[in-house]
Amino acid sequence: MASYTKAAQQWATFARAWYLLDAKMQPPGKIAAATVIRLEGRHKPIYHALSDCGDHVVIINTRHIAFSGNKWEQKVYSSHTGYPGGFKQVTATQLHLKDPTAIVKLTVYRMLPKNLQRRTMMQRLHLFPEDVIPEDIQKNLLQEIPQPRAVPKRLDEYTPEEIAAFPKVWTPPKDFRRK
Amino acid sequence: MVVLSASLWLRSRLTDRFWRVQEVLKHARHFRGRKNRCYKLAVRSVQRAFVKTTKARRQKKRFLRALWITRIEAASLEHGLKYPAFISNLLKSQVELNRKMIADLAIYEPKTFKSLAALAQRRRQEGFLAALGDGKEPEGIFSRIVHHY
Repeated sequence: MASYTKAAQQWATFARAWYLLDAKMQPPGKIAAATVIRLEGRHKPIYHALSDCGDHVVIINTRHIAFSGNKWEQKVYSSHTGYPGGFKQVTATQLHLKDPTAIVKLTVYRMLPKNLQRRTMMQRLHLFPEDVIPEDIQKNLLQEIPQPRAVPKRLDEYTPEEIAAFPKVWTPPKDFRRK
Repeated sequence: MVVLSASLWLRSRLTDRFWRVQEVLKHARHFRGRKNRCYKLAVRSVQRAFVKTTKARRQKKRFLRALWITRIEAASLEHGLKYPAFISNLLKSQVELNRKMIADLAIYEPKTFKSLAALAQRRRQEGFLAALGDGKEPEGIFSRIVHHY
């Protein structure tokens, strides 16, 4: 190991950075996995659980997250108010309509390590339903985290030239009728 | 009373009780509650503390290795490699650095770590070419290392 006196001291190593993540058309689980790594500080070689080396993460477009499969109808978020008969069960759609940031917030909260630093890390997470960010947060942003899922293009987003240039397996004859 | 000699008249009494108690209490001074002051409670706490220290010497090795692996994973992801690929390809190139040294290099010698990551990446590509390639003369330099055990 190099000597402490001889190594140049890099003050910026311990700075807290601000990262941006666009959640448009992304699965919230993968979004949360990417943010949890940054919030804990596991992306830094100087990581230690006690050294509070986590960064800030700003997630935009949380209203446009995309669950795969039938999770919008089948995934259930449960809670209890503490009073008798207060067991509430809400589907993902209902929760998303009530609060567009709640799904991502709950996913990140449940993926963080279950210790006392979880609340501090949640305070460093900033969620916005659309891509409108306040000025002071926008000034702090340093880098964008790449999106975990490659968003496929819809058919109407392709130009006619690209559709024509796409290789066809077979061309139907002129009098071909689909059933 | 029957006292036949002087040695039976002089009873031996404990004179250094204070220091025997202090020997135990000095290890409990940083504890919380009454167990940092009261001997009866302190004895039990100090015994448990010593047992935990003994067991923790083995756990410390596990904990530190996991910490090194986390740090190496973070540093190698910065260079575009995942931890299993990095470590396995370093071993195949006969670079037998342990995780402690690689973690310290990643923190204090970033350029050295970058060259290690490049070496592992190159060895990985050579491995893919050897497995999937066309069977021509392999251009691999790092994969030609002969391991002597």
